[in-house]
Amino acid sequence: MTISATAASIRNARPRGSLGNRLRKRYFSTPVNTSISVVGLAIMAWVIWTAFEWAVLNAVWRSPDGTSQVCRGIDGACWAVINVRWRLILFGLFPFEEQWRSTIACIVIVVVAILSCVPVFWKPVRLAGLWVAGFALFYSFISGGIFDMPYVGPSEWGGLTLTVFFYAAGVLIGMPLAICLALMRRSELPVIAVTTGLFIDVVRSLPLVTILFTAALVLPFVLPSFLIGDKIWRVIIGFALFFAVYQAEIIRSGIQSLPKGQEEAAKALGLSYWQRTTRIILPQAFRRALPPTINQFVITFKETALIVIIGFFDVLASGKAAFGSGEWSFAWVEVYCFVAMIYFVFVFSLSRYGVYLEHRLRVGKL
Amino acid sequence: MTDVAVSISHMNKYYGGFHALKDVNLEVEKGERIVVCGPSGSGKSTLIRCINRLEEHQEGSINVLGTELNDDVANIDIIRREVGMVFQHFNLFPHLTVLENCTLAPMLARKISQADAEKSAMMFLERVRIPEQAEKFPGELSGGQQQRVAIARALCMKPEILLFDEPTSALDPEMISEVLDVMVGLASDGMTMICVTHEMGFARQVADRVIFMDHGEIVEEAAPGQFFEAPKNERTKEFLRQILSH
Repeated sequence: MTISATAASIRNARPRGSLGNRLRKRYFSTPVNTSISVVGLAIMAWVIWTAFEWAVLNAVWRSPDGTSQVCRGIDGACWAVINVRWRLILFGLFPFEEQWRSTIACIVIVVVAILSCVPVFWKPVRLAGLWVAGFALFYSFISGGIFDMPYVGPSEWGGLTLTVFFYAAGVLIGMPLAICLALMRRSELPVIAVTTGLFIDVVRSLPLVTILFTAALVLPFVLPSFLIGDKIWRVIIGFALFFAVYQAEIIRSGIQSLPKGQEEAAKALGLSYWQRTTRIILPQAFRRALPPTINQFVITFKETALIVIIGFFDVLASGKAAFGSGEWSFAWVEVYCFVAMIYFVFVFSLSRYGVYLEHRLRVGKL
Repeated sequence: MTDVAVSISHMNKYYGGFHALKDVNLEVEKGERIVVCGPSGSGKSTLIRCINRLEEHQEGSINVLGTELNDDVANIDIIRREVGMVFQHFNLFPHLTVLENCTLAPMLARKISQADAEKSAMMFLERVRIPEQAEKFPGELSGGQQQRVAIARALCMKPEILLFDEPTSALDPEMISEVLDVMVGLASDGMTMICVTHEMGFARQVADRVIFMDHGEIVEEAAPGQFFEAPKNERTKEFLRQILSH
């Protein structure tokens, strides 16, 4: 046995020290370590204390009269701006009396999204049914025009509801598109493979802003009138396309990484192309491509904020509007903090779901 | 239908400029057990992969169970359903359980009900002596067990012909015999088998004919007794010397 192995076995044999001992050993073993630890701790404590003082101790939470008067001359955060303006941030320009409808519509999409993350719903028919029902419900509430609910057009939708709807619709259209593109790029027919590759490369090399602009403003001049549709759907499809070309390459990487034997074994059993693709290749490709897929979903969620440039008030733009009027213009940090928290909740849930999926797949089930 | 299972005549196969199979002629009757051997790169795997069209041939003809292999996709699928294959690296589907591996193709390609497919899968899993592993995933099994599942999976399609592509060469030595035992059992049941293998004991025991290939050609073809005792070709002698010397 070598000396280091002996040392290791002795170390392992000894009962582990108490927390205090371990900390002392790791951070305070030498004078240099100790001083670095002390300085680090001091900085940390100062930052946390300052943030806590600003965000909690010296903060003003409510504004009884609905004006920014309460926040004059305070040292802390003026959360009163959220207290007064939260409806603007969450619902944008949606008519004030009807905002309960926007709330329900938003909840519908979020619930449907959560349900489709549950393995019970992982059947094409169930997923399709779930989302058709979800969008039908969403539309009846947000659009209205039925059951005494006045009609509210897409140009008045806004805030978190718009962000969530836009994201869900974009990803939902983009995902099947991405699968098609990935499969077409692997086609044995060179014409299809090369054309698809070219298409992916072209769309990928355009900035998202350009695509959204084109969809919103240029397409109406080019398309025949029956294809123009509503602006929001043109923009969603442009957004979906952008998502799809990236996701297609992620899926393709998953397919490429499979051993050749998988496809061969499926062929040797007499399975047709579609049977091989849907039962053998794609399920495995998706597992392998899971981390970059979650990554792409997260990026895409944040990219929804770009729709402000073609006149849609997503949650970030609505937030800006909330401190945009002169009265609250000093409270932009608080509003941005609030919006950041909303983004964090969504993105963090996504990444936790990714961790859950990876763990589940490691066991072998899907 | 004739009694001919596979009939290959004047078949040539190229990989780009490389002439992989040279004027191969081979006739396999139903119920026959053929062992194909030869040094690596001799084209023996390529030959059997042409029989279920995992590889395309460029010249000559391959007729399997009375159906000519050409570009007709429908023909290819028909033949593949009747020709099972066992691979060197098992190629089980890791995202499906052992049972699902066995029932997938019968349900999809033969349109058999799930209950029937599961019943017959359990029968074949019993035959390869691992029914108790049915609910496990392939990753939880040993190599020998995986290869036996792969054999059961191929049998579930009730094929007329079984192709084996070096089924034991990726296995640890102590697991080889459990797979060979299953193969010997199949042979005694009258299954038409074409095996690429280096297991000369197996060849001696079950083969009706041994085929020796080198450089893309069939060099020698003989009954095992003659093949091992009195090989005619110099290259065969050389190969047998190398493979039997240890």
